[in-house]
Amino acid sequence: MLSITKTLRTAAAASVLFAGQAMAGPYDDYAGMTLVVNFPAHPHYDAVRKILPEFTKETGIEVEVDQLPYLKMRERQTLELAQDEGDYDLIAYVVFSKADYVYADQLENLARYFMNPKLADPSYDADDLIDGYVYNIGFAGGNKGYLQGKTGSLFGIPYGSETSVLGYRKDIFEKHGLEVPETYEQMLDIACKIPELEPGMGGLSSRAASGHHASHAFLLHLAPMGGRVFDDSWTPIVNNEAGVKAANALKTIVDCGPEGAASFGFGEALGSFLAGDTAMFLDTTVVAGQINDPKKSKVVGKVGWAMHPMDVRRGSQTGGFGIGIPKNAENKEAAFLLMQWLTSKAGDKLVAMAGGNPSRFSTHADADVNAKFPHMATFGEALKHADPDWRPIIPVWGKINADLGTTLSKVLTEDLDIQEALDGVASRAKVVMEEAGYYTWQ
Amino acid sequence: MSATTFNRLTPYLFLAPALVIMVLALLYPLGYMVYGSFRDWDPSQALGESEFTGLANYVTLWNDPNFRESVAVTLKFAVSVVSIEMLIGVGLALLLDRNLRGMSVLRTLFILPMMIAPVVVGLVWRYMYHPTVGIFNNTLKSIGLEPVDWLGQHALLSVIIADIWQWTPFIFILSLAALQSLPRSALEAARIDGATGWQQIIHIKLPLMMPVLIVTGLLRLIDAFKVLEVILVMTEGGPGLSTEILALRISRTATEFRELGVAAAMSNYLLILLMLLTLLMLFYNRWQEYRAAKAKRAIEEAV
Amino acid sequence: MAAVSDNSQAQHPAFYAVVVMLIIMAVGPIALMFVNSFKLDVDIISGTSGLLFLPTIQNYETALCDVLPYELDHLDFCALKFGGAFINSLIIALVSTFFTLVIGCMAAYALVRFRFMGRDTASGTTLMVRMVPPAVLLVPVFGLWNNEFCISKTSWLGEIIRDNFGGRGDVCLAGTHSGIILIYIAMNLPFVIWILQSFIVQVPRQLEEAARMDGAGPFQVFFKVVLPLIKPGLAAAAIFTFRIAWNEYLLASALSDRDTKTVPILIVNNMSEFNVEWGVIMATGMLLAIPPIIFTLFASRQIITGMTAGAVKG
Repeated sequence: MLSITKTLRTAAAASVLFAGQAMAGPYDDYAGMTLVVNFPAHPHYDAVRKILPEFTKETGIEVEVDQLPYLKMRERQTLELAQDEGDYDLIAYVVFSKADYVYADQLENLARYFMNPKLADPSYDADDLIDGYVYNIGFAGGNKGYLQGKTGSLFGIPYGSETSVLGYRKDIFEKHGLEVPETYEQMLDIACKIPELEPGMGGLSSRAASGHHASHAFLLHLAPMGGRVFDDSWTPIVNNEAGVKAANALKTIVDCGPEGAASFGFGEALGSFLAGDTAMFLDTTVVAGQINDPKKSKVVGKVGWAMHPMDVRRGSQTGGFGIGIPKNAENKEAAFLLMQWLTSKAGDKLVAMAGGNPSRFSTHADADVNAKFPHMATFGEALKHADPDWRPIIPVWGKINADLGTTLSKVLTEDLDIQEALDGVASRAKVVMEEAGYYTWQ
Repeated sequence: MSATTFNRLTPYLFLAPALVIMVLALLYPLGYMVYGSFRDWDPSQALGESEFTGLANYVTLWNDPNFRESVAVTLKFAVSVVSIEMLIGVGLALLLDRNLRGMSVLRTLFILPMMIAPVVVGLVWRYMYHPTVGIFNNTLKSIGLEPVDWLGQHALLSVIIADIWQWTPFIFILSLAALQSLPRSALEAARIDGATGWQQIIHIKLPLMMPVLIVTGLLRLIDAFKVLEVILVMTEGGPGLSTEILALRISRTATEFRELGVAAAMSNYLLILLMLLTLLMLFYNRWQEYRAAKAKRAIEEAV
Repeated sequence: MAAVSDNSQAQHPAFYAVVVMLIIMAVGPIALMFVNSFKLDVDIISGTSGLLFLPTIQNYETALCDVLPYELDHLDFCALKFGGAFINSLIIALVSTFFTLVIGCMAAYALVRFRFMGRDTASGTTLMVRMVPPAVLLVPVFGLWNNEFCISKTSWLGEIIRDNFGGRGDVCLAGTHSGIILIYIAMNLPFVIWILQSFIVQVPRQLEEAARMDGAGPFQVFFKVVLPLIKPGLAAAAIFTFRIAWNEYLLASALSDRDTKTVPILIVNNMSEFNVEWGVIMATGMLLAIPPIIFTLFASRQIITGMTAGAVKG
């Protein structure tokens, strides 16, 4: 604990020094102002809260944080952004909210701010931001509406971005002479061996609870298996061979998983790994901080990291959050300054040292960061295979996602036939897409 | 204003605040909801900006298997909690209707589960049902039994158990009160006639308690349809839709799927369902009262 | 339960065993929460359900970090604003209880004494209204409170409010204490009227007539004669109203904003999926449960009266 604060202080001191030289005036007009920001209850944003006092000290701008669980945050934002004048100056949004907010014209296009010489910091170095995340989280209007493409533009900046990695118990793997899995086949095999080798221990801890959780876990396997939710003409193909295979993988994982795995949300899945009840964990990179925190974890120092196993291809998830400025915000310019400060090189390093997820190449390669978090190198490697198209970020996705998640949960708990279940999802998705006008041009 | 007109106005003056509030915050919203249920309404719109779609929301719901499953879950939940609670609550009241030392302590402590916030009840039970650290599975394991996947495979049952824990005391206390206010003469007479304990219960106590029991059951039934927080905290409706009662589905439709029109139509379905149930129970109550009165008269004549 | 002997003092020990078991079952989960609120997360997760742990008040400190006068070493920042939420909960519960009682009392009195509407109709309506689940009110209340029950910020009242209380946009009921209080009063009124009716019926008419002979007006009769006589009923009604306002989650979560959050919202939010901190959650749950527990221990008689008055006499 002490050492964390100490490093934090050193890093902060360094950034103050740096900022003191570079910026004399840009913040002067806004000093004394209070920005209201809406952040999710999420380890990255917990780390952000630790560094916010630094921003206030440096700029004189106060920040009031309204932190909510991320699904609640989305509900709150739906309401806030629809008002003529909203409470929030800066919001963090879940990746899949991008479609809703941009489509409803509720987020500021960032071009106007990066063009403004009084606001834009020339040393910002936007090229250092990780491409995949920028396109996945901040970009809208490109190919398919949500991918990189010539018609797109920037509405937000990735902040708290994640990809998936495989965490495994080094001690258990060593004890039984197990190889770290490279492919899905090996991983599923080991996952089902563990309960035999270590009675009472589950193989792989995955989320599977009804709704968003089950859907997320399924999509995690779908991409490496070569599957997609839609083909290029928006026809649902979630029920093809790859889809069935991914659902089977999820079922195997849950069946060989820890007790009660079928009802695990993210918290329970992680909790089970932290308590030492499971040998592997395949999900977001965001958990590293907690796994190394002796107050929460019984497996400190026993966890190794590997790439998300491949099947027909490599494809780890891209997810997490971005930050953007609502159209109805009161202090947009100051909000931009905060946004720029947070995602700057110094800010990104600061938050990484406080336990957050960096969004810049330079931070992943940074010597201090790597010295403190040795897993950062694996994470950086995983990033290269991050798949920005592992789930469709379109406005009707929320509805399809909910249906997919509920149906998969039925597969896991009520033994619904997988093919039949996915066929149902596909046909219902087709109706939703039809209603939303995706087949107008066919 | 003369004193007499003032006196004539008094009842209205006394009633006015209550009426105003009820109209403003209950009746008007209910009307607003009915109106909204015929529209395609999104939370970012004011109701006036939304599009009129006729019965579309009702039809969609009627054909939606998820909605139907949710109705089934709601009915299953409500019927099972009310019947089990009635059984246990009345049984305990009959069993413990005697001068026991410690009864007042029991009654006091029995109220606790009802008074505590449903949110808290939900989180305590969620903790107790926890697959690995929960007290149930720990106990099972320590006596060498297989742990149970409470909130997974048996989610609905687990939720029902939690509700029984929370609300059986309500029925117990009401039945006990009813028992203790029974006419002593009738019981005395039965005992002199040599009726056994069971005979007294079946032929005298239960029929005489019936009106109270009906009202109690009705109140519980109404409340069973209101349960939401406990389930929200424990399972969030999952796994699948196995514990997604209507109240929860309404709130999810409104906040998560952002379909206020559909949520309004769903609320209307729920209201209609409740109305039917209440009318049925009231009707049955009248009929039972009539029968009870007859029975009472018969007993009194016998005495 | 063979021989039912009413007045004998000595009962079979088995009955006492049953009573003791019931007490353990009723109190057990709450006791478990109490014990766990003094454990660190590591102790809770490790599943040693025994009493062998070092009790700590750290969870309570974490929960109350915004009102404690001293800095906490184990926290980098104060995430839970429990103190603020507790004050919101208190304001909302107390104010709505007060208004529900005053308004409900007057209405019940009018219904009983002036009988221009049959009591049956009144209690029938009450039952009907009581039937409405909060979830049904969610959609309309959300829409109305946010979009219709608003004062334009350019009107004189709107300007005064915005100048004095800050905030942006039109002044709407949503997000204010009054918005939540209004819906709680409406939700509780039917029940309060129903309970109080059964108490007012028992007030002897002669007392009131005597007071009227002495020249008291209807309001004086009501406040000086009737009110003092139905105190037990008022206490019961107050506890029930307070309980609902104190514990309610759904409507409060739809109507509150970041400054008017109540404790139940905070607890549900804190069950955030990334970080289930059982210890802190148990501590907040315990803090939320304290007022109801106090009521139960000190006013159980009134609560039972209230419960039975509703069903047995109503």
